[in-house]
Amino acid sequence: MRGDGGSGETEGSGRPALADQRGVESVYQPAEDSALLARAVSERVDDGDRTLDVGTGSGFVAATMAEAGADAVGVDVNPLACQQARKRGVTAVRGNLVDPFRDEVFDLVAFNPPYLPTPAEKEWDDWMEHALSGGEDGRRLVDPFLESVGRVLAPDGEALLLVSSLTDPDAVREYARQHGLVGEQIASEKHPYERLVVLRFVRN
Amino acid sequence: MKEDLMDIICCPLDKHDLDLEVEERDDEEILSGQLVCTECGEVFPIEDGIPNLLPPDMRDEAPA
Repeated sequence: MRGDGGSGETEGSGRPALADQRGVESVYQPAEDSALLARAVSERVDDGDRTLDVGTGSGFVAATMAEAGADAVGVDVNPLACQQARKRGVTAVRGNLVDPFRDEVFDLVAFNPPYLPTPAEKEWDDWMEHALSGGEDGRRLVDPFLESVGRVLAPDGEALLLVSSLTDPDAVREYARQHGLVGEQIASEKHPYERLVVLRFVRN
Repeated sequence: MKEDLMDIICCPLDKHDLDLEVEERDDEEILSGQLVCTECGEVFPIEDGIPNLLPPDMRDEAPA
């Protein structure tokens, strides 16, 4: 669950800024969504797998991959996130989604994207907003991820994507299908205002 | 970054190979230097052990 609690308010908007709701500063810290994704990841990673954690943030999911025996890399656009992940012992690359990686190199790619639907005028105030906000439909980064992740997956590789019921998982799967990925739900967890699901995609 | 990261990274713009130019390294990894695309010649910095493979137009896009 995201966006709970907090008392700050964005000037003029009459509602709390996402960063204030979160109550932390510039790097997204592990929450229920990260934990659900990490559990799914650790069940699927084998010793020696080459794995990628997209939008690694604090490096939590990448560290879980490494503990499960993977050769794990974390990628993030946020330089502060890259530094935190590196301090945690995670191999960090600053980059956009899977753009800086070669074709067919990963056995598993995980992504806990920003998914909260957010009106356009509220977008992009700071790094925390970037880490939480998924744009008007909550799929600002989900869609480009689905367009590009197939390229970096090994022939038997898989992508695990965390989404919320707020982000319309069926629409996410349909968009993935249009980009050559077959998806199934492999985990789900009910929270007060949303259901979190982990979708698993393989190349069609 | 460890040198074997070169096996999986590429130029984010055209996906071609990168040349590694090391400025500073310790026993385990490269701490600073740059990665240069063998095709388009774009230069990507390595700072504090972290390669910055953002496209140049996203590099300065730092939210306040």
